[in-house]
Amino acid sequence: MSVKFKPNIICFACNWCSYTGADMAGTSRMKYPATIKIIRVPCSGRVNPTFIMKAYQKGADGVLIAGCHPGDCHYNSGNYFAKRRFLLATRFMNYIGIDAKRLRMEWISAAEGVKFARVMAEFSETISELGPNWRAREEV
Amino acid sequence: MKYSYFPGCTLHTQTKNFNDSIKSTSAILDIELEELKDWQCCGAVYPLTTDSAMGLVSPYRSLQKAHECGNNLVTVCSACYNVLKRTNLTVANDGEIRTKLSNYMDVDEYAGESKVLHLLEAMRENNGFGIIKEKTINPLKGLKVAPYYGCLLLRPSKELKFDDPENPTIFEEFIKSIGAVAVDFPNRIECCGAYVSITSQRKVKGASESILKSASNREADIIITSCPLCYHNLAKEQERLEKDDYTFKPIPILYFTQLLALALGLEVESCGFESNKIDARPILKSKGLIYRGDA
Amino acid sequence: MKKIGVFVCWCGLNISSTVDVGKASEELKNYPGVFYADDYKYLCSDPGQELIKKTIIDNKLEGIVVAACSPNMHESTFRAAAEAAGLNPYRVEITNIREQTSWVHSNKEDATIKAIQLIKATVEKVKKSEDLFPQQIPLTKKVLVIGGGISGMTVALEVAEAGYPVILVEKEPQIGGNMAKLSETFPTLDCASCILTPKTAEVGRHSNITLMTNSEVVESSGYFGNFTVKIKRKPTFVDWEKCIGCMLCQEKCPKKTNSDFEHGMGKRKAISVAFPQAIPYRPIINEKECIYFKTGKCKMCVKVCPVDCIEFEQLENIVEENIGAIVVASGYELLPKEKLSEYGQGKYADVIDGMQFERIASASGPTEGVIRRPSDGKIPQSIVFIQCAGSRDNQKDRPYCSKICCMYTAKHAMLYKHQVHDGTATVFYMDIRAGGKGYEEFVQRAIEDDHVLYLRGRVARVYEEDGKLVVLGVDTLSSEQVRIEADLVVLATAVIPSEKAKVLGQTLKVGTDAYGFFNEAHPKLRPVESMTKGVFLAGCAQAPRDIPETVSQATGAAAKVITMFSKNHLVSDPQVAKVNEKICVGCLQCEPICPYKAIEPETIEVRIGHTVEKRQVATINKGLCQGCGACSVACRSGAMNLSGFSNEQILEELKALCL
Repeated sequence: MSVKFKPNIICFACNWCSYTGADMAGTSRMKYPATIKIIRVPCSGRVNPTFIMKAYQKGADGVLIAGCHPGDCHYNSGNYFAKRRFLLATRFMNYIGIDAKRLRMEWISAAEGVKFARVMAEFSETISELGPNWRAREEV
Repeated sequence: MKYSYFPGCTLHTQTKNFNDSIKSTSAILDIELEELKDWQCCGAVYPLTTDSAMGLVSPYRSLQKAHECGNNLVTVCSACYNVLKRTNLTVANDGEIRTKLSNYMDVDEYAGESKVLHLLEAMRENNGFGIIKEKTINPLKGLKVAPYYGCLLLRPSKELKFDDPENPTIFEEFIKSIGAVAVDFPNRIECCGAYVSITSQRKVKGASESILKSASNREADIIITSCPLCYHNLAKEQERLEKDDYTFKPIPILYFTQLLALALGLEVESCGFESNKIDARPILKSKGLIYRGDA
Repeated sequence: MKKIGVFVCWCGLNISSTVDVGKASEELKNYPGVFYADDYKYLCSDPGQELIKKTIIDNKLEGIVVAACSPNMHESTFRAAAEAAGLNPYRVEITNIREQTSWVHSNKEDATIKAIQLIKATVEKVKKSEDLFPQQIPLTKKVLVIGGGISGMTVALEVAEAGYPVILVEKEPQIGGNMAKLSETFPTLDCASCILTPKTAEVGRHSNITLMTNSEVVESSGYFGNFTVKIKRKPTFVDWEKCIGCMLCQEKCPKKTNSDFEHGMGKRKAISVAFPQAIPYRPIINEKECIYFKTGKCKMCVKVCPVDCIEFEQLENIVEENIGAIVVASGYELLPKEKLSEYGQGKYADVIDGMQFERIASASGPTEGVIRRPSDGKIPQSIVFIQCAGSRDNQKDRPYCSKICCMYTAKHAMLYKHQVHDGTATVFYMDIRAGGKGYEEFVQRAIEDDHVLYLRGRVARVYEEDGKLVVLGVDTLSSEQVRIEADLVVLATAVIPSEKAKVLGQTLKVGTDAYGFFNEAHPKLRPVESMTKGVFLAGCAQAPRDIPETVSQATGAAAKVITMFSKNHLVSDPQVAKVNEKICVGCLQCEPICPYKAIEPETIEVRIGHTVEKRQVATINKGLCQGCGACSVACRSGAMNLSGFSNEQILEELKALCL
């Protein structure tokens, strides 16, 4: 194959830590693949598992949830809920046969621009290796 | 506990007494050391060049073999320890180098699962100092021992995690367990000159001299070390000092396992004191710690 | 279909160099729902905002998308512009095509495609947006200041002068903080207590300030404008109301103990006041040291007290206070010497830290200002000062600069040289950072006029030999190793946040950084505010800084509080949770999830045909809700939603991004 597969990845980033961390990556001019698109949410606890499943249905190849480090949540406990829901979602994905590697969760603080860029590059690489998400995609 | 044992180049030749005392003492302490079959040089200084994987081939082979035996790897020489442990960390963290090495050597990939331990660490891990204290028949009462750590054992501290690099205590614990007194001397963690002895004897001279004098200022009876290279540099410098500086009183330098052997009640003849450059027997005799053995 | 306008910003070259803004706006023109699309060089500029306003009015737009920098930068700017043009500000959404597109990608083609897709997604989000209106929230005009050092006192005095009540909480029995311990201050060498005492006295007598020393904040709830805090008042074992401050008890108490205030340099009695100028000037019994508490006998203080104010059975009590704003000024400590094994790890009595030197140099200190070494009381003939002890050191996990050490070390060396003219003072430094008015001149004075020897290099080891301390170091300018024998070694140890800062941060729900310093809302533009609304920061609680800087920041924090109090009520963010009562089944799964306890059950009446039925549903307290949205996920029936980030909006955004 001559054309390299460019995945389509959705990143839910919490407004306080990870979205700001993404901004930090920008202000420090870090580079990461253009395959990542960020949706701003107030808190990682706002991410409904249905959003994740909807993303796979609509053709996303990977979904990343980024929230504040444990103990740093702006709303105290949102990231813990997010983590629990994430674990449930991976189990559900295994159950219905979507590779659970397509979902990832990371703690990225507002100061971790470097980490943000690294995680994005890594995840993009993982998804490229996994290839397009045919299984969960709805027929369009 | 069973470990794979990596002696390193000098232990079977120049420093046979070190090797023998390790074997005899570890048997008493229930530390089973199985010598790695067909071992070769640890890699010496070459793995320190980080830009080439070639230097890592030698230590990688030893690590991979120990892992195949299913054991953690024990070594005693500070330089071997430094090289093996850091290589272990490199292959654990760097998948690219790991793959390169295993492809080159045509062996199963090894990702740093086994631990690399210094014999002192292996002792500390299993409450060995407590066991030593229990099994000490001949406590070395009143013997003032200066523990010389050197640098390779402690640094880089974030990678080796051996002990506090500025204020290590493991040798002191060991000395306490054999009933001797640890002498706190300021130069105990300075470098002896290490491999520089090959290129510039003058530089080693300065380094080793200050270590010896600092131990002698604190009235140490004996210096102990765990590294054949440190031993070599210090002993050589001591020979010179003996000739040039009449104020300097030479101090016997021993491997720590030699003292351990004595404390555990082994025969004086089997402690290998006769092979040390400065014989420790007179001073041990004067302290009433041995009765036989010629001076 | 709504009429939506799209504005793409060039941000000079910041965006336009990597994103083809022209192509983006052209493509958006044909996107369904987009009525107007254009690009402009600087949308945040006045002409840019004018353009947005004019376009909204001219085209009667019902929603706009601004594709520009991060919403954290200019969301409020553009929302204000839209509001001025008569559009509900929550109909404005920002697409981040700078920090998250143009700056992080180098391939123009990829970046342009991504930018267009992001803008389209935002258009979809705007299509599902609604008009939202802020709510008015009542406000308690009373401030809580945590920490009674120079920063906390400054805040308290400023706010009190403006006419608002202040509660000043200090964990120590007296106010003054670290500054009260200092000898002289740089760069003027005027004595610290001379400039501090008038302030402490004023705080003590100000009618608007309620002083709560020997107290700690243990709990905080509520939200900006309406906090409820619980303050633990630790027992002093002396009735301070009755006490007249005669200090007979201190005089007669038979038990001497180490004084925390003197940092191990001096002693105090088991019942004592820390220092003679302390405010409040009232004694406190050290429970751990007092003979009566240990053995049940003694009671010397009871015997001598003329007003009978000793109360051994005093217990701690918790006070609850309603307040509107909180200022955190919890100050700093020094890295314990025990962490620095290369300098003896606290083994040698004559290796001391900067604060200990302050005490022995202070006229009111244990040596009455004569610099004597702690071990034998001799006047040292040679002192070595080691800067950056722990600071700027990755090995010690303190990579930051402690900022004040260069200056106070120069001051220490000067104070010493002024006393012992023939003594030698040597300073090991990494760099001299003397940025500040009159600072560089001060250091030069130490070097040139007072002949302090400055050696650029680090110290490898400090050890004792023949009763002298030996300092082994390197002079990197001459590339020589140096060995100096010293009578006293002073370490400029790293400034670290107060021990309890992390816990306090969790109590107040304010974030701290990796070291425990409080995080400001914006490093440049909002340095005195925390991320939590209504909580402000002052002094070293936020980062290491010197007195002038602390006072300026404290004044700034006070100004913020006064601004907040100048209005009669506060305006809340309308981007909070809402319940669709029609489908809410009243299961209240959402209730335990809410971290702010903003969800409560409510019984409503529903008319079904001709009958009226009572039914339980969940309701939101819009003042308490902070808009995290955790409840919306927990809702089984999908009745709970979050305004501004509604399920529909996120799903539409998601769909557009997945295409």
